[in-house]
Amino acid sequence: MAKIREALKLNLTKVVNDMRVTQSMLSNNMLRNLSNNYNKMGKLQDQLTTQKRITRPSDDPVVAMLGLGYRDSLNKVQQYSRNISEATNWLDSTDDAISQGVKVLQRIRELTVQASNGTYEEGQRGAIAVEVDQLKKQLETIAQTQVGGKYIFNGENTNKAPAAGNFSNGDIELEIFDGIKLNVNTKGSELFKSVFNTLDSLKSKLEDKTASDTDISGFLDTLDSEIDHFLKIQADVGAKQNRVDMMKDRLSSQETIATEIMSKNEDIEIEKVITELITQESVQRAALSVGARIIQPSLVDFLR
Amino acid sequence: MVSTFHGLETAKRGMTTQQLALYTTGHNIANANTPGYTRQRVSFATAEPFPGAGLNRPQIPGQLGTGVQAGTIERIRESFLDVQYRSENTKLGYYSSLSSALAKMEDIMNEPSNSGLQNIMSQFWSSLQNMADHPENLGARQVVAAKGQMVAETFNYYYNSLDGIKKDLGSEMDVTVKNINTIVSQIDELNKQIASVEPHGMLPNDLYDKRDQLVDQLSSLVNVKVRPIKPIQYGQPLPTAVGLYQIELVQNDEAQLLTVDGTTGASQQNELSITAENGVKAPPLKGNVQSVQVGSVTLDNFSGKLKGLIESYGYVDGNGKVKGHYPEMMEKLNKLAYAFASEFNHIHQQGYGLDKTDPAGEFFDLGGSTDYDETINYAQVIKVHDEIIKDPTNIAAAKNGGDNSGDNEIAFELADLKSKDFSNYSSLPDDMSGTFDFYYAAMIGELGVAAQSANTNMENVQVLVDSVEYNRQSVSGVSLDEELTNMITFQHAYNASARMITVIDEMLDKIINGMGVVGR
Repeated sequence: MAKIREALKLNLTKVVNDMRVTQSMLSNNMLRNLSNNYNKMGKLQDQLTTQKRITRPSDDPVVAMLGLGYRDSLNKVQQYSRNISEATNWLDSTDDAISQGVKVLQRIRELTVQASNGTYEEGQRGAIAVEVDQLKKQLETIAQTQVGGKYIFNGENTNKAPAAGNFSNGDIELEIFDGIKLNVNTKGSELFKSVFNTLDSLKSKLEDKTASDTDISGFLDTLDSEIDHFLKIQADVGAKQNRVDMMKDRLSSQETIATEIMSKNEDIEIEKVITELITQESVQRAALSVGARIIQPSLVDFLR
Repeated sequence: MVSTFHGLETAKRGMTTQQLALYTTGHNIANANTPGYTRQRVSFATAEPFPGAGLNRPQIPGQLGTGVQAGTIERIRESFLDVQYRSENTKLGYYSSLSSALAKMEDIMNEPSNSGLQNIMSQFWSSLQNMADHPENLGARQVVAAKGQMVAETFNYYYNSLDGIKKDLGSEMDVTVKNINTIVSQIDELNKQIASVEPHGMLPNDLYDKRDQLVDQLSSLVNVKVRPIKPIQYGQPLPTAVGLYQIELVQNDEAQLLTVDGTTGASQQNELSITAENGVKAPPLKGNVQSVQVGSVTLDNFSGKLKGLIESYGYVDGNGKVKGHYPEMMEKLNKLAYAFASEFNHIHQQGYGLDKTDPAGEFFDLGGSTDYDETINYAQVIKVHDEIIKDPTNIAAAKNGGDNSGDNEIAFELADLKSKDFSNYSSLPDDMSGTFDFYYAAMIGELGVAAQSANTNMENVQVLVDSVEYNRQSVSGVSLDEELTNMITFQHAYNASARMITVIDEMLDKIINGMGVVGR
């Protein structure tokens, strides 16, 4: 009995709360719902065409703020890749130039051995002296190696060719990662430290008719140490090349990661958005068809 | 005894009253789509019964009904819902003006995108790094000059666009103030018309509707409250008469846009006006808002569209500081432009141009000022120095002077500036911390949060306004089904009363023509 009364009471309150609803309320409601739906569809459409979850900071301030940082780090990684390829240019060219220099010195050493074995005549020594002079000039050309218009052995004075045996100083450093700088130039003054003087005195000994075989063979040790000096510096360059290669690998994985983080932060999941769009579309259709049914008939249609 | 013709009078009364109700129904149907219209009803009441009490009353068994009479034609409306609607509508006006002002700011700042300052700064940084890779390359230097110009122009564009919108907001505020005063004077006019009807014991329902609609409009502009006043010298108004509207502002000091005298009903309008910081009265508004007055009272608390506009446009707070979304953003841009450009110059001047022996000059031109001066709009005046554009070899990449074209130390230092902590800057405006990147990201973040909260609040309040409006429509809206049902009811009642007359007619016919003719 109490239950029934309770139910009746409930029913009564429901009747009391039942609102008076008019046609214009229904049509206004429908209009509002339709426009809300269009709004949502517009947002989804924006997302699909831009492939971005947000188009303005207020869509999601956190995503927007993080996005600024991620874009920046992606840009950095890309720039450091460019810096690294420039560093590689320097190091590869230096490496190549040193190899050529070593070849020249080895040729000079061969000539020196020939000139010192006693069977050569004076005239032949003179010819060797001419060749050594030519090779020295070749070495001077190597000292003036240019990469992209820069003289790589002339310290920071990259715009001017170094005069023979007279190099400018200064280290050139490139930034290969945030705050990590790499010295990319090999200073001519270090590489060609004494080689031109040695060659000059070798040449004058070869031209000296009184010079003995031992006088000339005495140069072999000096030449060997010059070659060693070249090789040692080349090893330094090689070590730097390794470092740059490693950095390059690291950067390329960094680029992938940075792109991915950025994408995760602000890109849409297409399948999700399309699903939402389809859902929204069917909601829209339903709203339209319901609207067409609700709005149309009124009592007027049934009164005669 | 009851009069022979008693029934005729009763039926006639029934017909006129039903007719009245039928015409009111027609009025409702005709106005079903009129904005602000409130449905009207004729209140029916039984007429005085016959006979009245008295010594010489006729001796009949009891009081006999004399039919129906129309009471008043009144609106069906709940004033409580009006109060609710107006208070929500005020909030809606506030948040929607805030939201639209901030959306414009977002459009200008255009982040995240490829044309925002963040991206331009990244490009500038890259160009400096490229210059560090190839300091002897004129092309790389030209790019630095060009990207530097882009940075300066982005600052200029931001500042000028924000300034333009701020000016627009100022004129919008002038229009809004004018609008408020016009609406109040229209309400005053309606008050006067109503005052010429109510004392005669009638209800000017359609004038009420117009007046309530104006108050609704007013409520979205500023937070008003209505106090209906029925003056003492007011004739014979019905108890249901609404009276004259006094328009008050919701705030501490009593401020009235429209004052109605409680005795005579005489009204006085107090104009709302704005005073700018230089003490000049608007319109036109020039400079940030110092105060808003109604008559001679200065407002201490207001809301609505006016408040949204003021908070966007800028105002002077109690401590004499300029607040507001636009001026604050513009000030931050000024600070950022100054801090970055002056530190950039500072580093730049420690270096040397390409193979130059004299130290380099300035890179950015800030109009010649050295210390931060808050009256100068740095974001507006910043540009790349003419000497740099004329000859990019004047850009300092080298730390040391003379022939050292490969020296790139300064170029790297310049590039690093973007992520250098402000505390290491040589000169800095107040209240700046972090790095360029952080500071700018925080600016965008704050803008995003402010705009987001304005949007969310606007949506929420919109829902509330809609729901109150829904309730209001539920009470006051015209339902065609209902009116048609009433129409039929009243029509049938009218017909039935007419039939009553026919019946009485037949009765009288019997008496007049059929009686006393016995045996004829």
